[in-house]
Amino acid sequence: MIPVTVVGISHKTAPLPVRERFSFTNGEALALLESLRDYSGMTEGVVLSTCHRTELYMCPGTDQDLIESARSALKVKAGDLVGGAEQYLYHFSGVQAVEHLYKVTAGLESMVFGEAEIQGQVKEAYDLTKNTSTGRALVGPVLHRLFQSALAVGGRVRSETPVGKGAASVASVAVGLAKKIFGGLENKNVMVLGAGNTAELVVESLGRDGVSDLIVSNRCLGHAQQLASRFSGRAVHFSEMSHSLKSVDILIASTAAPYTLVTLEGFRDSLSGFREKPFLILDLAIPRDIEAEVGAEPNVFLYNVDDLKEIVDDNLLNRKASIPMAHGIINESIASFSEWNETVEVVPVIKDLRESWDQERKNQLEWLWRKLPGLGESEREVVEGFSKRLINKLLHEPTSQLKKSVGNGKGEVFLEAVKYLHKIEGITSQEVQDPESELDQAD
Amino acid sequence: MPHFVALILYIGSLIFWLRSLTKGGRAPGPSVAFTMASLGVLIHSYALVVFASTYGRLPLTGLGPSLSSLALVIGLALVGTIVFGEGRRIGIVVIPFIILLETAAVALGVEPSSEVLDFQGAWFSLHVMMAFIGFGGLTLSFAASSLYVVQLGELNNKRMGRLFQFTPSLATLDRISRVALVTGFVTFTLALGLGWFWTITFRQSLDQWNPKVLWSVMTWFVFLGIFVARRFSRLIPQIGAWASVFGFSMVVLSYIALRLFVSTKGFFL
Repeated sequence: MIPVTVVGISHKTAPLPVRERFSFTNGEALALLESLRDYSGMTEGVVLSTCHRTELYMCPGTDQDLIESARSALKVKAGDLVGGAEQYLYHFSGVQAVEHLYKVTAGLESMVFGEAEIQGQVKEAYDLTKNTSTGRALVGPVLHRLFQSALAVGGRVRSETPVGKGAASVASVAVGLAKKIFGGLENKNVMVLGAGNTAELVVESLGRDGVSDLIVSNRCLGHAQQLASRFSGRAVHFSEMSHSLKSVDILIASTAAPYTLVTLEGFRDSLSGFREKPFLILDLAIPRDIEAEVGAEPNVFLYNVDDLKEIVDDNLLNRKASIPMAHGIINESIASFSEWNETVEVVPVIKDLRESWDQERKNQLEWLWRKLPGLGESEREVVEGFSKRLINKLLHEPTSQLKKSVGNGKGEVFLEAVKYLHKIEGITSQEVQDPESELDQAD
Repeated sequence: MPHFVALILYIGSLIFWLRSLTKGGRAPGPSVAFTMASLGVLIHSYALVVFASTYGRLPLTGLGPSLSSLALVIGLALVGTIVFGEGRRIGIVVIPFIILLETAAVALGVEPSSEVLDFQGAWFSLHVMMAFIGFGGLTLSFAASSLYVVQLGELNNKRMGRLFQFTPSLATLDRISRVALVTGFVTFTLALGLGWFWTITFRQSLDQWNPKVLWSVMTWFVFLGIFVARRFSRLIPQIGAWASVFGFSMVVLSYIALRLFVSTKGFFL
């Protein structure tokens, strides 16, 4: 049994106002984990808190009291919610918990399918708990291994499948189009008609890529000034819009006007004839703000909301086609993690077995040195070397068979048999810091 | 042997460009392809330096050496596109030409020609090298313009697939095409000027019915035509791009026709 459990909420179980209530800052996340470790028997823990999910990964995963404590802690954090916080919570244990983290890291559980940001967020959550202010790490061998493998799975899924290919939101499509027309967005002038949410998102994305000048034009100048001030732009009234249009490279229209704002004739008049440089127009309004004929003008690239949505849908369809491939990678990694997890239990037993045999070897050598006092230093070294070789030879086959048995599902039976035959007491996995290196040493 | 190695690197580069295209230009495909092409150019340069030091002359006469030199000039021009960032992806169009020219050169043998030309020495070398740079510019302009037409099609048809992702931006392609055309036109004009000056000085004749001269003059007019098309089609930039594509095709096809149907004695390629 993989000793991991996850308790949490996500965009699939809770709307945004509820998710906000479960959100943790870094300090809060560390305080929660330290409290669960000190009072609820948690040995390892990581809190993943993003816009779309809050999840608490814990080890050991079989402890019902710990799971209940975690659920209670999350409910306390959310406070009073209509119908109670319990309805939004989910929990997975063992293989399902591992599979869940792998899918989350690969972006398969994201709101925007295949988005890459989650990979960085998982890494940040893991890094946060590695080095705490108290000096006591909150991750041990199990979650260390789990998160490292999850990040590797995320990387593999993104590089080996088309899961992250193509823009998957109207804002990223807009930025992609602008870059393919203008090369870079530096020194480009943007005008926004209206102050809708989608336009705001597009402006935000363009701003991140270095757009220099932003003009917001709105019927209500106050709203225009609000949006413009957020992006260090300037506001103009609708009546001045056509005058400003001449210097613009990218026009984003998203008003709620029930009629066309920019007609072909008006557009030509605004530009005082034809223009030589390209003009990208994103008409995000319904009904449309820009007359369709404007798109036929030389050097004008006009995209309406349906065009952009179609591109997004195509890209998402392509991304989702990668699901079977991604699942293949995830299943492969789950098998590898399960195998490693079983090895965790074998390693201490092998280590103990070797130590007890070695102790016996030393005892027998002591007896031999007493019986043969005339042996010189070099002869003693030869005998000691021989004794070590003999022990290694005798233990080699049983220990490798024991390790192999982990892979074929008989590990637990053989492990119990070895413990019984050699009088080895139970050892917990927490005693092991780096099972693989210990296995190597045992070889 | 170095010619074969360079050829293999060029072919490897083309394979990586094509692979990169199928993956939408994701890293590291384009970088690997470009590095392979650059290594090919390096070894190709070495091969021609060895030729020059072995035979004591530049590889500018005889069909094999000339084709190989032209391939190298185009390769060097491609390496120069590194300054245009993603613009170097025009390598997917340029590399096949380099492979074609170098394969032909290797097949014909990169050996010095026994033909003795009247036009020799530094004048001749400068004339041919500048003409080659002119052709290099025309080839690069063709490559950038072809991709411009492709990208424009993707943008107008509202597709954002692998071709869209792989192909550089319109602005970058237009810049490469312009720089390549200007460089090519200037050097080609100088090459023609040198040729004309030598002919009237030493032969007291224009030799205007020589197929080589006719073809060169036609190529110069093609350059001019592309410039005119670009200048007067700024409102519809695809006309300028199509002019580069047609102009280059015309130059290549007319060259092939001349080689197949007209006596080519003294033809510098």
